[in-house]
Amino acid sequence: MSPQNVATVTLPAPPEAERGRSAVTRFLEAWPPAVLLALVWIAGMLVVALFADSLAPYSFTALDLRARLSPPVFMGGDWRHVLGSDELGRDVLSRLIVSIRMSALIAFGATIISAVLGTSLGLLAAHFRGRIEQVVLALVDFQASMPFLIIALSVLAFFGNALPLFIALMGFHGWERYARISRGLTIAANEQGYANAVRQLGAGPARIYGLHVLPNIASTLIVTMTLTFPEIILLESGLSFLGLGVQPPMTSLGNMVGYGREYITRAPWIMLSPAATIVLTTLSISLVGDWLRDRLDPTLR
Amino acid sequence: MLRYFLSRLLRAVLTIVAVVTFAFVVLRLSGDPALLIMSVDAPPEAVEAFRAAWGLDRPVWEQYLRYFVQVAQGNLGQSMRDGRPALTVVMERVPETLALTLPAFAMKLLIGIPAGIYAALNRNRLADRLTMVISVAGFTVPSFVLALILVLIFAVNLGWLPSGGAESWRHAILPVITLGLSGAAILARFTRSAMLEVLGQPYIRAASAKGLPWRRVVTDHALPNAAIPTVTIIGFMVGSLVAGAVVVESVFSWPGVGRLLVVAVSNRDLAIVQTILLLVAMTMVCANLIVDMLYGWIDPRLRTARAAGG
Amino acid sequence: MSTLLSARGLARHYAVRTGLFGRRASLRAVDGVSFDVPPARTLALVGESGCGKTTTAKLVLGLIPPTAGTVTFEGEALPRPNTVAWREARQRMQMIYQDPLGALDRRLSVLRQVAEPLEIHQVGTKAERRERALALLDAVGLQPHLAGRYPHELSGGQRQRVVLARALILEPALIVADEPVSALDVSIQAQVLNLFEDLQARFGVAFLFISHDLKVVRQVAHDVAVMYLGRIVEQGAPEALFREPVHPYTRALVSAIPVVRRRAGRERIVLEGDPPNPIAVPSGCAFHPRCPVAVAACRSETPALKTLPDGRLVACHLAHGDAAMRKAA
Repeated sequence: MSPQNVATVTLPAPPEAERGRSAVTRFLEAWPPAVLLALVWIAGMLVVALFADSLAPYSFTALDLRARLSPPVFMGGDWRHVLGSDELGRDVLSRLIVSIRMSALIAFGATIISAVLGTSLGLLAAHFRGRIEQVVLALVDFQASMPFLIIALSVLAFFGNALPLFIALMGFHGWERYARISRGLTIAANEQGYANAVRQLGAGPARIYGLHVLPNIASTLIVTMTLTFPEIILLESGLSFLGLGVQPPMTSLGNMVGYGREYITRAPWIMLSPAATIVLTTLSISLVGDWLRDRLDPTLR
Repeated sequence: MLRYFLSRLLRAVLTIVAVVTFAFVVLRLSGDPALLIMSVDAPPEAVEAFRAAWGLDRPVWEQYLRYFVQVAQGNLGQSMRDGRPALTVVMERVPETLALTLPAFAMKLLIGIPAGIYAALNRNRLADRLTMVISVAGFTVPSFVLALILVLIFAVNLGWLPSGGAESWRHAILPVITLGLSGAAILARFTRSAMLEVLGQPYIRAASAKGLPWRRVVTDHALPNAAIPTVTIIGFMVGSLVAGAVVVESVFSWPGVGRLLVVAVSNRDLAIVQTILLLVAMTMVCANLIVDMLYGWIDPRLRTARAAGG
Repeated sequence: MSTLLSARGLARHYAVRTGLFGRRASLRAVDGVSFDVPPARTLALVGESGCGKTTTAKLVLGLIPPTAGTVTFEGEALPRPNTVAWREARQRMQMIYQDPLGALDRRLSVLRQVAEPLEIHQVGTKAERRERALALLDAVGLQPHLAGRYPHELSGGQRQRVVLARALILEPALIVADEPVSALDVSIQAQVLNLFEDLQARFGVAFLFISHDLKVVRQVAHDVAVMYLGRIVEQGAPEALFREPVHPYTRALVSAIPVVRRRAGRERIVLEGDPPNPIAVPSGCAFHPRCPVAVAACRSETPALKTLPDGRLVACHLAHGDAAMRKAA
């Protein structure tokens, strides 16, 4: 048997299709379908949040008293109110769109506050060590050992509620994680890594932290953001559901569920669409976060 | 070991001091307590009398010390609504909350831990994937949505169970399931990752390489080591036995501490709010302390005095 | 000979506690060290891990303040760490690390990092800095096409060359190199050591070269100081030190260098016991519990560093006393 013979036998038709499929497989391995769907959903939510005013078919406060509690299309309703209407005849779809914008605003605002606050405190602790570090660590311990919902409720009780205060309050959720991570990584970098090397070149703190440390720990911080973001959505919607978060006439997803709960027997659709939106959004961000974590930072659990 | 215990105790005391300080600071920042607690149309001399009685005319540091003394004596003010001592009002709600959270806690442990261990031992098989999907759902579905879905199914459509109130044990079923399911999901996820981490360690491979049956490798080596991180999250769950039911109690109109807190926050009944805040802090701190003690017992590295400095 | 760097009675003690409520103790990382580094020469500090070499390096660079003693650099005392004056002084003294990958920022290109010291000290225009960095890369033997690479895309030897280029770009008078070749393959070590010698000839830079490895030191050093538990026990020219080590500790270290054919009479000396705990330094000569020839005086009296007739410095009672005993060992 000649080698050529073997070759012709064992190499049937260059695996063009095979290679094509492996490209698809490779693509799906890098971008799992669930993650793709999640990304599409998140993108959709962002578009809705940004263009809420032009997307909403009605004003979210407009009453349509002739069409009160009309069911959504898929439950036998008509196309005037695609997702149905509530007890006052307000269009559920329009309210949902505006609620998505409100919830996104709060979640983004709070996540940014939390990340900036936590990272700054972590960097301060790592830079100065000593007393300042002890204070930061004590605050971290305090924050981590109390259920945040209780702290949030106390603050709301003491200060009353206004939207900027509410966003700031939500911004206190999860800061301790950024503080822990940035402190740990910065200390490591200062002790024997690149940050110490740059410091030793004569660089000042602005250059060390702004140009070297922050860009290096950014991926870990971004992954942490994807983990706290859904938690903030859940916290906000929980408080709004209890009537202690976003106050009428403004509306958020949790607010809508809370309002719809009164009509759960007669008109369950009022609460179902915002509830589904909350679940799908937090699920999507969690999926993307896990995927990002595996790709960017396998050390973070 | 004693040193370890003392350092933990010190931390616990510090946390309590921090919470009391927090309560004092927000109380002071939120405005004049006299005007907040007295009604708006109270005569000025009554307001002055109140100030004198509460020491509000004294310097801040003295007020702060007095506040500590009052808290230590259990004097946390009166509820605005019926004028009864806040501590009494809160304490009589505690059994109601425990009636929900204790069975839910048992449910979390009985479902969450076995599910997590099972998933870890069958990694990447169907059972594991299924457990993880349910667990992620348990994390992303907020408890008020889960509660309403359960109400929709079992109370509205099937009519088997009441949708709210606290008249009989049947009223407790849906709230307990709501609390238990989400907690079990979190616990399963956590137990699984703790187990997977332990199973990847060299000593597990060494144990099975020396011919120990896999069942004994798991029971003798993997489980005790995976228990160490899992105890932390269980401790947090114990700590939230009092406060963990805020949302669920509200959905099911269950007259526990959580619902009391929500009502008190809406009415700005500050005495009740600060009492619950301190109560929660106390339970959290005690739970953490117990967890730390358990650590000392489970984790032999802490049993030796030398590791106590860490 | 003028000196560039001069350390006198340098000491650094750390307060340590055993456990949270434990007793306070003093860790004497460096305990009275004096040496001089002349311009364009290399002094090597040699010793086991934990002997205080790295702490000495940090003291010399002014990264940490000394507990006692002084460091004089170019005739002036070192400024306090992290002050403006200290940052300015970085232009004259630089450092090289054991782990070049850790010392480089993995998000910046090689060229950018080599040019960074010029950026920090605002030297030249952007184009000039770039040109200078390329010239330095060439000087350390890196091809221009590597300039755009990132640290993880280079080999260990190439990374250490990048770190060297970065340290040299400001044309410092002194470079402290802390175990610069320990993390490299043995085959690469020799190349990098040759580079050290070439660069010294070309840039006139002095090195304080820290290593646990005597055979590495032998190639580059003009002067070798052996440290044991925070003190210098023997110091001298490498040829003399390696040919006839005087201090029993140096003798043990030298005997551990692998040679192709072991001459008769050069038995390998294997030290007993571990390096002792720097928190509980033995009384007298710190080396006496491990010393094969220790006498009663070694337990009670700390030997001073004294000059031998051939010009080297030794801290050993026996070296200065009974020569017969020395031979007997």
